[in-house]
Amino acid sequence: MSAFWTYEFLRYSLFTSMMIGVLAPVMGVFVVVRRMSLMADALSHITLTGIAFSLLIGRWHPPAAAWNPVYMGMVFAVGGSVLIDRLRRIFMHYKEAAITIILSGAIGVGVVFISLADGFNTDLFSYLFGSVSAVSRTDFFIILILSSVVLLLLVLFYKELFFLSFDEEQAVASGIPRQRIHALFIVMTALVIGLSMQIVGILLVSALMTLPVAAAMRFAGSFKQLFIYAAVIGEVCVLTGLFAAFYLDTAPGGTIVLLNTLVLVLSIAVSKAAGKEAV
Amino acid sequence: MSTEEIVAMDHVSFKYGRQNVLDDISLHVKKGSFLGLVGPNGSGKSTLIKLLLGLHKQQDGTIQLFGEDHRRFRGWSRVGFVSQKAASFNSGFPATVKEVVSMGLYGKKGLFRFLTKKDRQRVEEALEKVGMREYKNKTIGQLSGGQQQRVFIARALVSDPELLILDEPTVGVDAESVQNFYTLLKELNEQQGMTLILVTHDIGAMSSYVTDVACLNKCLHYHGGIVDYEENREELMNRMYGHEVNVIEHNHDHHHHSHDHDHDDLHGGRPG
Ligand SMILES: Nc1ncnc2c1ncn2[C@@H]1O[C@H](COP(=O)(O)OP(=O)(O)OP(=O)(O)O)[C@@H](O)[C@H]1O
Ligand SMILES: [Mg+2]
Repeated sequence: MSAFWTYEFLRYSLFTSMMIGVLAPVMGVFVVVRRMSLMADALSHITLTGIAFSLLIGRWHPPAAAWNPVYMGMVFAVGGSVLIDRLRRIFMHYKEAAITIILSGAIGVGVVFISLADGFNTDLFSYLFGSVSAVSRTDFFIILILSSVVLLLLVLFYKELFFLSFDEEQAVASGIPRQRIHALFIVMTALVIGLSMQIVGILLVSALMTLPVAAAMRFAGSFKQLFIYAAVIGEVCVLTGLFAAFYLDTAPGGTIVLLNTLVLVLSIAVSKAAGKEAV
Repeated sequence: MSTEEIVAMDHVSFKYGRQNVLDDISLHVKKGSFLGLVGPNGSGKSTLIKLLLGLHKQQDGTIQLFGEDHRRFRGWSRVGFVSQKAASFNSGFPATVKEVVSMGLYGKKGLFRFLTKKDRQRVEEALEKVGMREYKNKTIGQLSGGQQQRVFIARALVSDPELLILDEPTVGVDAESVQNFYTLLKELNEQQGMTLILVTHDIGAMSSYVTDVACLNKCLHYHGGIVDYEENREELMNRMYGHEVNVIEHNHDHHHHSHDHDHDDLHGGRPG
């Protein structure tokens, strides 16, 4: 464990992990109850497209290679979320279709960008599956600021998000500005995905948002409890997974998600034994 | 009863696609009145309520709430609402009864405000009124349909609205509770001067509580005091429910022969 204190880059990964270990599941609570887990998946794939685009620019214009591609990824995710929202309104009754369209489109474009950028290398591997060494000092501070902003927004708009998630019609009737809150929510989700993927990687980031929530749902007796349980499960899994990955030399993303899955299976088994019905 | 008008609808028409649902409706509700809104299924009652709440926009006519054009109206916390399909919420949602009722206060609180101790007390009081206090820590999904409906009524009451709109609120509520509920509405109306609009099919029970009646079937067939309504009831019912048959036949016809109907694309795609 001392390695985490000896090496600065490991320390920053650790701090980052601690933040997203809470942030991702807390944001995930709203993502899950609004039935938008797939949306999170689509956004993570758009993030990849953005990363690929950044790599491509870096090739054409070498000074740009110094940027962390993740930020371009976040920009893409935010843009993509707006696009999904438009499409969802066009396919009113078939909202999942909008997500699939964007998801596959994003992968297609992303893969073309990557091949143009000649980017099928180890770098890409760490974007896909996460890496403990991906976090620099600057990254850490940017992540710290963005995480704080997202958490603050979650606290400030808790009421509105809660009401809209529970019963949209009633919420709108009581004067809650649906459009604006929804836009804010999507942008926040895109940000959290961008932040979390540095540790767990794009392919697994939505798992970090949904699995702890799914496990917490088996036990939560109130909406507040759902947040607390999800955050605790998320944090424990991220930290344990990170250390395990470091010592076993496995990919951190996979290890963390594996642990999350384990917790989920356990929680289903335990709550089944306790006689709880399906959620 | 004061003369202040809480709701003023003038020449309001509304279409879903091409289907004319409300036609030239003018409806005025005075402060302190208790309006029963009746009409057959599909007569546009819920649609009229949604227009009032700003959930749909009318194509024609004007609506004023509390004397203000309702496109500019911002005082939604003065309006309480219990919707017809309370089942529209997600029943697997892990929210407690208390949390659900608290939502009724959110509009009033505005952005960036948190619930105070006093708010939590009001939540308990609202639950007491509908006889659901002992269930306050259960999750909403653990309740029966009728109990859920009572919780939603509590949610509408918690913010002490000046105008309370109820769209068939007692569906699934047992007879005794319906009685209590009507009594509660009458109390709110008479003692607190709350203005009420109640959509119901329970025409018999309604008439001993409401002060005014509006009969709707696409157009407004009657709007006035309960006494006049009782006198002309027979004829009104014939007129209104007579129309219903026509409406249904018309729709049926439309469905099979017209190709500009909203849903025809879907039906057209199916074999057979
Ligand atoms: N979302 C919608 N899209 C298209 N048409 C609709 C929609 N909702 C309602 N309608 C149509 O509008 C008409 C009026 O519906 P509305 O729900 O207002 O009736 P209602 O009087 O509330 O009936 P009920 O007593 O069954 O609740 C119906 O003919 C219905 O088919
Ligand atoms: Mg209705």
